[in-house]
Amino acid sequence: MSSTAVATRNTDTLDRRYAILGTVLIAPTVLIFCAVILYPLVSAVYLSLFSIYTPTLEGSWVGLDNYASLLASGRFWNALANTLIWTVGTLVLQIVCGVAVALLLNQSIVFRSLARSLILFPYFLSTVVAVLVWRWLFNDLYGILNHLMLWAGIIDMPVNWLGAMPNAMISIIVVGAWKYFPFVVIAVLARLQTIPDPLYEAARIDGAGPIARFFDVTLPQLREVLTVIILLRAIWDFKEFDLIWLMTGGGPINSTQTLPLVVYQEAFGLNQMGMASAYAVTMMIVMLAFMLIYLRQTRQKEIT
Amino acid sequence: MQRPSFRARLVVNVVTWVVVLAVAFPLIWMVLTSIKPQSELFRIPPTFLPQSITFEHYWRLLTETPFLNYFRNSMVLSISTTAVVIVVATLGSYSLVRFRYRGREALATLVLFTYLLPSVVLIIPLYLMMVGLGLSNTVFSLVIAYTTFALPYALWLLRSFMAGIPEDLESAALVDGASRIGAFVDVILPQALPGIISTALFTFILSWNEYLYALVLVNSDSVRPLTTGVMNMLITSFNIEWSLLMAASVMMSVPLIIIFAFLQSFLTRGFGAGAVKG
Repeated sequence: MSSTAVATRNTDTLDRRYAILGTVLIAPTVLIFCAVILYPLVSAVYLSLFSIYTPTLEGSWVGLDNYASLLASGRFWNALANTLIWTVGTLVLQIVCGVAVALLLNQSIVFRSLARSLILFPYFLSTVVAVLVWRWLFNDLYGILNHLMLWAGIIDMPVNWLGAMPNAMISIIVVGAWKYFPFVVIAVLARLQTIPDPLYEAARIDGAGPIARFFDVTLPQLREVLTVIILLRAIWDFKEFDLIWLMTGGGPINSTQTLPLVVYQEAFGLNQMGMASAYAVTMMIVMLAFMLIYLRQTRQKEIT
Repeated sequence: MQRPSFRARLVVNVVTWVVVLAVAFPLIWMVLTSIKPQSELFRIPPTFLPQSITFEHYWRLLTETPFLNYFRNSMVLSISTTAVVIVVATLGSYSLVRFRYRGREALATLVLFTYLLPSVVLIIPLYLMMVGLGLSNTVFSLVIAYTTFALPYALWLLRSFMAGIPEDLESAALVDGASRIGAFVDVILPQALPGIISTALFTFILSWNEYLYALVLVNSDSVRPLTTGVMNMLITSFNIEWSLLMAASVMMSVPLIIIFAFLQSFLTRGFGAGAVKG
């Protein structure tokens, strides 16, 4: 009797010691999280209630006034509309191209691993490099794109790709798709390789052609991974700053100005830190819906 | 299984390679532009292959511009960020996967949440923090700022690697009399090493490519990393020298190409959707 009591007491202390060790190991993470993520996050909400002039950092309490004037301004709604157009446009292109290219790369082709590397590489490239290269391609006088299209007879005048609308929006959507569709390829390709062959055999015996096989077998199998990809990419595209800022700077005038660009310009161009924080917080509230769906999806999958 | 005909296979091959070359074209064009003499760039119609190859742009980039200085800053910055993040995240992910304590689940959710957080929300408070601490315009301030995205990312990746290590291995070591720390060093670390290395490489790439924090927190040439430095070369130049900028782009991508070659097998083996951050 007494020996079992001792044993449980021993495992009890061992459990407690393990719990302490686990806490010690996670402590650096928690400390860093609090200092550089949680504190700034709370601080952003707090700052949004002030009117702050950036160079002097002097501010006065204005309560919810920033939010009121933000929602009443055309600037916010214009930026929100641009962000949505950009996100939906580039996301659709990414998904369509990503799935199509993944299907191609899943076939047996010559030099398959070289082909895969070439497709995947843009994703790892610095956005700065991607932007420099595309701005050179888009150059209105000496850019190769205008020359190729003139030569092919698609256009009969050089096109101003980045300085006019709707060209500028289309251009950034295309460059965004070029840069980020490899992510879709990676994830879809991995999933394609795990679809069991008998499924295709059965469909073939039932007389399904390649197109029917895609819709009846491949697409349902991809559904789960596509949901995750769409949510992740929607969140990341929504908050994209570098690519749009460096391609167009939000122009011409404000026609490609998205919410992250407004936050940056309010804070470091117009020197209105409080207002910029209000924009940032509002943007995060819009994003929160997607984030919560994604969190639920992932946690659910882990539990099951 | 019926074999696809020769013609069908030929069509698939041709279509695939046309698509691949179209996607790779901007990069091919970048390399070609960087080795053409300046005079050839402005010829109409443009030449596709360079008529004469020159490396003068690379030479000028290294000798007449602060490029090497930016390059060194980027190296110091990315390596420091990666080192800090990997040490903290390895311990943290081990704890998240193998220990039980209150708040563990909440913490895992928080990690995932911060992994999706937009930088523009954190940038203003972080800027104020760096100014307040007197750290603005230092490489150290960028290392701190970069942990905001690199740490959640590394934790999330490593967590899935750690979860893949069979628990029996650790139990066996504990039964043999190893302490928990001993088991971690002798059993878990060697098993997790491939995961740790690939996470480190991904973290390095993220830091190497970061732009926004570098733009806001650093404004002197002596600490500027490559991303903002090279962009500065574009903005401040009187007339834009595209061949020089393309040479800079190629040089900036060389470390990524080397890392990419290492990661290739990982990627094609099929990393999950959450594994690569955008």
